[in-house]
Amino acid sequence: MRKFLTHAGTGLALALCVSYGSIDAVRAETAVNVGLKAKDATALDPHLSTKSGDKPIFALLFNGLVRFKPGSMSPANLEPDLAESWEVSPDGKVWTFKLRKGVKFHHGYGELTADDVVYSLTRAGDPKRSSVSSDYSQFEKVEAVDPHTVRITLKTPVPSLLGLVANYHGGNIVSKKAAEELGEGFKQKPVGTGPFMFKDYKAKQGITLAANPDYFRGKPKIDKLDFKFVPSDSSRELAFKKGELDIFTGKREEKWVQRIGQDGDLTVDVFEPGELRTLHLNTKVKPLDDIRVRKAIAHALNRDDFIKLVGDSVTRKSWSPVPNGYLGHTGDLPKYEHDLDKAKALMKEAGHENGFKMNAIITKRSALLRPMQVIQAQLKKIGIDLELDVVEHSAFHAQIRKDLSPMVLYGAARFPVADTYLTQFYHGNSRVGTPTAVTNFNHCDMADAEIDNARKEPDAAKQKELWAAAQRKLMENVCSIPLFEQLQVWARRNSVDYGYTLEGALSLGPLFTEVSAKK
Amino acid sequence: MLRYTLKRLGSTIPTLIAVLTVIFVIIRIAPGDPAIAILGDNASQQAIDALRDRLGLNEPLLEQYWYFLTDALTGNLGNSLVSGRSVLNEVLEVLPHTLDLTIASIIIGVIVGIPVGILAAVYRNGPVDYVARITSLLGLSFPSFYTAILLILAFAIHFPWFPVISNANLSDPGDRLYNLVLPALSLGLIMVAYVARTTRASMIEALGADYIRTARAKGAPALVVIARHGFRNAIIPVITVIGLYLGILIGNSVIIEIVFNRPGLGKLIVGALEQRDYTMLQGLMVIYAFFIVLTNLVTDLAYGMSDPRVKYQ
Amino acid sequence: MSIATQTPQERSGVRHALTELYHVFNTNKTSWVGLIIFLIVAVLALLAPWIAPHDPLEQNIVDALQPPSDTYWLGTDSFGRDVWSRILWGGRISLFVSVMSIGIAMVIGGALGIIAGYKGGRIDQIIMRCMDVLLSFPTLVMGLLVVAVLGANLTNLIIAIALTVVPKFARIARAPTVAVKEQDYIEACRALGYSDTRIMFVHILPNVVGEVLVLASLWTATAVRIEAYLSFIGLGVKPPTPTWGGMIRQGFEYILDAPWMCIYTGLAVLILVFSLNLLGDGLRDAIDPKLRNE
Repeated sequence: MRKFLTHAGTGLALALCVSYGSIDAVRAETAVNVGLKAKDATALDPHLSTKSGDKPIFALLFNGLVRFKPGSMSPANLEPDLAESWEVSPDGKVWTFKLRKGVKFHHGYGELTADDVVYSLTRAGDPKRSSVSSDYSQFEKVEAVDPHTVRITLKTPVPSLLGLVANYHGGNIVSKKAAEELGEGFKQKPVGTGPFMFKDYKAKQGITLAANPDYFRGKPKIDKLDFKFVPSDSSRELAFKKGELDIFTGKREEKWVQRIGQDGDLTVDVFEPGELRTLHLNTKVKPLDDIRVRKAIAHALNRDDFIKLVGDSVTRKSWSPVPNGYLGHTGDLPKYEHDLDKAKALMKEAGHENGFKMNAIITKRSALLRPMQVIQAQLKKIGIDLELDVVEHSAFHAQIRKDLSPMVLYGAARFPVADTYLTQFYHGNSRVGTPTAVTNFNHCDMADAEIDNARKEPDAAKQKELWAAAQRKLMENVCSIPLFEQLQVWARRNSVDYGYTLEGALSLGPLFTEVSAKK
Repeated sequence: MLRYTLKRLGSTIPTLIAVLTVIFVIIRIAPGDPAIAILGDNASQQAIDALRDRLGLNEPLLEQYWYFLTDALTGNLGNSLVSGRSVLNEVLEVLPHTLDLTIASIIIGVIVGIPVGILAAVYRNGPVDYVARITSLLGLSFPSFYTAILLILAFAIHFPWFPVISNANLSDPGDRLYNLVLPALSLGLIMVAYVARTTRASMIEALGADYIRTARAKGAPALVVIARHGFRNAIIPVITVIGLYLGILIGNSVIIEIVFNRPGLGKLIVGALEQRDYTMLQGLMVIYAFFIVLTNLVTDLAYGMSDPRVKYQ
Repeated sequence: MSIATQTPQERSGVRHALTELYHVFNTNKTSWVGLIIFLIVAVLALLAPWIAPHDPLEQNIVDALQPPSDTYWLGTDSFGRDVWSRILWGGRISLFVSVMSIGIAMVIGGALGIIAGYKGGRIDQIIMRCMDVLLSFPTLVMGLLVVAVLGANLTNLIIAIALTVVPKFARIARAPTVAVKEQDYIEACRALGYSDTRIMFVHILPNVVGEVLVLASLWTATAVRIEAYLSFIGLGVKPPTPTWGGMIRQGFEYILDAPWMCIYTGLAVLILVFSLNLLGDGLRDAIDPKLRNE
């Protein structure tokens, strides 16, 4: 204490003299400072956490059996990762993967074997230990044939199976030994096989990752990645300007992209996936149970305003319940164009000529709060008085899952196959308030048959047809109003080179590979 | 004095228990779920339920309450629900940052505030006094986030002298000070205002007292009168004010920590509230309440040291 | 404290109170300045519906983030809403929240303090213990907790702020009560068989009211800031209602694109708080004879 007092006591004068140059000078290694739009990362377990701020970190720590080509999120570009090769039985139910040899887990947890894969995939399918277990419901068993061969047997064929063993959520392979030894502690000390390994965590401040010298594709050129939690958009940008950050989550607004793009030392990457912002309408409560009211709302909303709010280059209009670019997405759907007269007429027809009042719960996070305020202003024009209860983000999720908000604005990116979106948001089993609830806030179930059948359909063309039929039914019933898709925006110093072209990343952030470098 | 201290501490235990009960009840009534905060937006309901089970949130409330109370009173603050780490460790990790900020702003307040206050009192109703009073009132009126934002704009952006993200490396004193300057100034300005005003008021009172008049009449030099007779008697209210405003500083530091993205108790408490981290919040409140009690006590004791007339019963 | 030594006769009569208030203002010119600035702010805010050049809620997204101009005097926010109009309307909210919350806290806290001081004994103990519990929460944290439990809206914001301030009033009212109740004339009242309520209201209240009012004006200033802080953290009044704290929060996120949002709104908070502080400070100096100009 006394030591501190002398420090502080020497006062401001001293502080003013301290040059910050000396602090930078101690760095001899290549370190990249990353500014994350997140407040904390408390559960670094890829099977558990679904937080968007954690995803870019998982992508560095772990590998799947296959991986999305760096810089791409297209399921068509899956390439070998921990598995060198694989084959499928003619009936599509048995998949056999040959593992790469000599892959080492971080922190001396030994070599990767089939046991680790079996353990990881079983864990990912266990509802008690995984947040994404329902994705693995078609798994009959996962077994080790020999130390370097894994066999997955399915209940029914899953055409997009590779997606479930890719480096995304449940497909990430963890060290069995570490997970069993550390138990609950694993999420504080994750052990994978990725190019970077966990080094240090400071609550609410940041996470440090170090290069994995034994990475099977070679030691990364970057020695250290310093992730800093900086929730404020302005603070991240200011810190970047000051040289405290090298790359950071940008603001997903065109004006910002243009302005900051003028800085010569900086590149803005705008990439997939587009997070679809959808307004879900609870079709089971008054007055939203009346399709005329839902149609009126659909006609009242003006997508142009949302695009203007955010900007052309970082967003695009959406008319489909399944985002653009997802396998099975269709644009051939009924469109409810912005038309106030039509909307007012529908309201009158439904007996709400004078409008009505309605409550909706919304998070205080601006990514959803801002568009919700636009919705509020637009609905006001047809007499709907939307009262917004702004709550903490976790309270928002707790409350909408208890079915407390008749209108829910939700934004999400999922594994890019129509099935994930349709199942989670539009399947009867996923309705909130039921034991199997996921995120079906609209309570629609009219497309269940199509969604179920599509999942089992071995023929790719027929599967697409079924998905399209499901989307059509949902939109004919106005279960929800898809509004716009918001792309990912990151900015980096020109000296940072990812080593590939960044067009898409399911991890919602740039992936640092062994070839990524900082000049 | 020891007996007095112990008695004071003992009498705060019922208050402490009441505070803990209030916090325990309130945070559980508030909607929200730590499990969702941990697992993220699209976790399955089953996974959320399983996690709640593991966290012990499905146990009877009374049981949870009993464990919490007995643990807290024996000094065991438990582990954070969200991060799984010990609450005490997390607090101790950020405490130096908060202490730095608080102490630095008090020092700024004392170094600038006391001379200004004395000057204002000595040249009472003159232009110096007027300027001092108006500026200190103005300083007092600045919302701390506004000061912070303006300071960032001026001294981190326009003149790029200081960092925007104030996250100091604790083992490097230079770095620590360098990161402290802007946040400490933001709070220090408020402190200067408080201290200057109190100093002025109590100096005026002290200078008006009979013995000062006597001293002056005896021809003691003005400076000696001010320093020896005036200031020594004026210091007590100043100490009280510093003690009182320690609480205000802690509240303001929440805002400062958010604006500067600086680690600290305030950010921890707001984060715990947002994530519904029950144990962390409970632990923090225990510490806060204890802090406040301690501050009051220290203030009382400081009275005694600067003024022999104050006796402890 | 000095008020307690004055006799009640000196302080009775509305007319007398008004002339004394006038005297109080006159002894300290700064309180006049404070009062005038405060009145200007209050009048501007009250007249918002008539003088605001734009609808504070109307979104005009094409005009988002416009710098100050002839059409938008202080620029627009990220929804294309006029900042000046929102500041005017936001002033209504700030004033309403702060005056209401402090008013409520003053009445409840003052009453509790007088009751505690007058009754003494167990009642005193219980009331003051409760106040201690409330005081153990840092103001902002208490506000955040209350809003988290009750939900973020105008009424709850007022409750939250009032709750944090009640103990301050209770304390300040209790001290003079304890001093006064020992005095002869209170004894006399009791001997005459006056009810406790009457004694507290008629004979003790006037001795307390001065200090309570000073505290009220100073805490109103603080309440403006607490409201701004809570909105800044993101839990204030429901959107789209404009509030100063909410505007500064939004402005901070656009500090590099549109600094006017933040700077002008912050200035508004500063002016209002400053005027209230000038007012309260002047009143305190005037009421406390130790500091009164000779």
